[in-house]
Amino acid sequence: MAMTDSALRIRGLSKAFDKPVITGLDLEVAGGELYALLGPNGAGKTTTLRMVTGLTRPDAGSIHIFGIDALADPLAAKAVTAWLPDEPMLYDKLTPSEYLGFVAGLWQIPPAEAAPEAERLLKWLELWESRETRCETFSRGMKQKVALAGALIHRPRLLILDEPLTGLDAAMARAVKDALREAVDKGATVVVTTHILEVAERLADRIGIIGNGTLLAEGTLEELRAKAGSDKMTLEDAFIALTRSPG
Amino acid sequence: MHRLRPGSFAWLVLHELRVGSRNARRRARSLWFGLILLALFTGFGIMIALGLRDVPIAGGPALYTGALAASILLMSFMTTQALLRSQHTLYESGDLDLLLSAPLEPRTILRAKLCGIAASVVLSFTLLVLPFAIPIAIFGHPGLFGIPLLLAALSLTSACLGLAIMLGVVALAGPRAARTLGQILGALLGGAVFLVSQLMSNGGGGRRSAAMSLFNWLMAHRIGTGGIGALPGRAALGDPLAAALLLGGALILFAATGYAFGRSFLASYQKARMRLSRRRAATGPVARHFRAGLFGSMFAKEWRLLARDPALAFQIVLRLIYLAPIALAAFGRGGGPPLLPALAFASVLIAGQLVGSFAWLAVSAEDAPDLLTVAPIARRQVERAKLASAMAMAAPFGLILPAALALSSPLGALATVALTAAGGACAGLIEIKWQKPAPRKTFQRRRSGSMIAGILTLLATAFFGGIAALAVFLIG
Repeated sequence: MAMTDSALRIRGLSKAFDKPVITGLDLEVAGGELYALLGPNGAGKTTTLRMVTGLTRPDAGSIHIFGIDALADPLAAKAVTAWLPDEPMLYDKLTPSEYLGFVAGLWQIPPAEAAPEAERLLKWLELWESRETRCETFSRGMKQKVALAGALIHRPRLLILDEPLTGLDAAMARAVKDALREAVDKGATVVVTTHILEVAERLADRIGIIGNGTLLAEGTLEELRAKAGSDKMTLEDAFIALTRSPG
Repeated sequence: MHRLRPGSFAWLVLHELRVGSRNARRRARSLWFGLILLALFTGFGIMIALGLRDVPIAGGPALYTGALAASILLMSFMTTQALLRSQHTLYESGDLDLLLSAPLEPRTILRAKLCGIAASVVLSFTLLVLPFAIPIAIFGHPGLFGIPLLLAALSLTSACLGLAIMLGVVALAGPRAARTLGQILGALLGGAVFLVSQLMSNGGGGRRSAAMSLFNWLMAHRIGTGGIGALPGRAALGDPLAAALLLGGALILFAATGYAFGRSFLASYQKARMRLSRRRAATGPVARHFRAGLFGSMFAKEWRLLARDPALAFQIVLRLIYLAPIALAAFGRGGGPPLLPALAFASVLIAGQLVGSFAWLAVSAEDAPDLLTVAPIARRQVERAKLASAMAMAAPFGLILPAALALSSPLGALATVALTAAGGACAGLIEIKWQKPAPRKTFQRRRSGSMIAGILTLLATAFFGGIAALAVFLIG
């Protein structure tokens, strides 16, 4: 089954709705890497991630997660993957503890294993005191932290996050960034989309820039600067330069 | 709208009507269905009008009492709608923050909202009544043009009553409880006429409609034959003084409500926007929330979501109260009811509807469908767990009638349990097959999403109910 060291390998991925959104996308993320996917609005970042997580069926192409063909064996791929969209997938009437219990049930983690992990996550994300309060009373940041705990409870090898910092205040954003970095330090692979270029600049090991349905550029910050034509550019300058003149 | 002064009362009313009409807009298919129904109603109304062309319609004690009974029934339904709309305005409409932050008088906003509530209330009844009343008025009975005026007066009064009840509930029960209590009161008010009429008809030994029961009671007590009680009848028949009195009274009530409740409306809204959920003290470990199998996790989730939405749970139980007399009535006509087969039939019908309702909540009204899709579980497995959860939640209710049956016929009770389970499973499977994503709060309108599911559920449960009744009848 494991034919590659890649955590995520995408080849020739295509998807069209009313018009083509993704056209022949190739992307590779190595294990233990924090990869930031950037792109202008409507570039196809979310569509790409939704195809990886099995929420949208691609028209063509292949997706391998740790060597597992995600299209042929979606359940095996899902078992090692977590998805955290920009709108948290929560039940407002459940408490964080109950939500984590439900998610652990979906991933079929034995209670003896899941309950201590839930306690650790709730304490680490500063949700312990609110663990028996229904999510409907929480701020957006609190909800995002509950959803993050849900994403981490089954110890995914690949964590995929779509705009995880949207709407969070500075302290919450810091907590989420720390959580992502810690997950990577513990061996997980993280793929994240963000509009906040500073996050990609400071957090990501490698950055991919997507536009017009394909990967326009990819590499470390230095490599992207070089591709954009100047070593002294900020990521913002490089991003604008690369997305303005694709190819 | 551009001709009106921005921010004026009329401008706000027009805004309310526009927003209301967009909220009510359905899919094209439903719209066409509604238009065809309206055309049929109007055609039927014209036929009746032509038949009544040369028949004099003169006022009298019976007609006035009939009009009063109809007005009372209409008012009860209208007040229910107005109460639910008021609850929606306070808790769920998203525009009050914007309106109240604008340099506008809160009283003006309240009056515009009241107009919106009255308009939404009157619309559904107008569509039912006017296709008959207007043709009759045109073809020889111009006095009946008083009916639209009567409807306007009733809807304005109902809007005021609905808002006053809602604000009263907020004041008495507090904003958190009022959210649920408002919905429960609305459901109770809506069902009250039906339930009271059932009681009245059972008491009288025969089965009559709610309107007829009320009419007989009013006639017996000589209410509505003259004086104030006759005003609705006189207004409907075109008496200008009666129409002016009713409409004038409604307008005065409308103005007084806007004046009297302006401040409390604002206060209620501000309270309603506060934290609406109880914050529970966090104690103990979290292990008790973790379960081994998929069914355990799914059942715990579905049960908690239902238990924490008492208004929704109440709506479901109320539907059972409506169904019970209907189911028993099906076997109750002529020659005394064969009670045991009737119980078996009712058991399957009620449990089937219940499982269907729970399955709709679990499948179509799933709050986090993406979470289930990204989980490493086959969709079929998730649906099976949801069906099992729905059946498990319905089981305690589904066992009540078979338990009663068991006192007389244990074997019949066993057959009923088996067929109740089969009917319930069938109802749940229909909901799964015809699932259409929708928010939980649209439970009451879920059949507008999939009418086929509703019809098939009824047919399937009636089928299994029939077999159960036959089995119990044969077992004896």
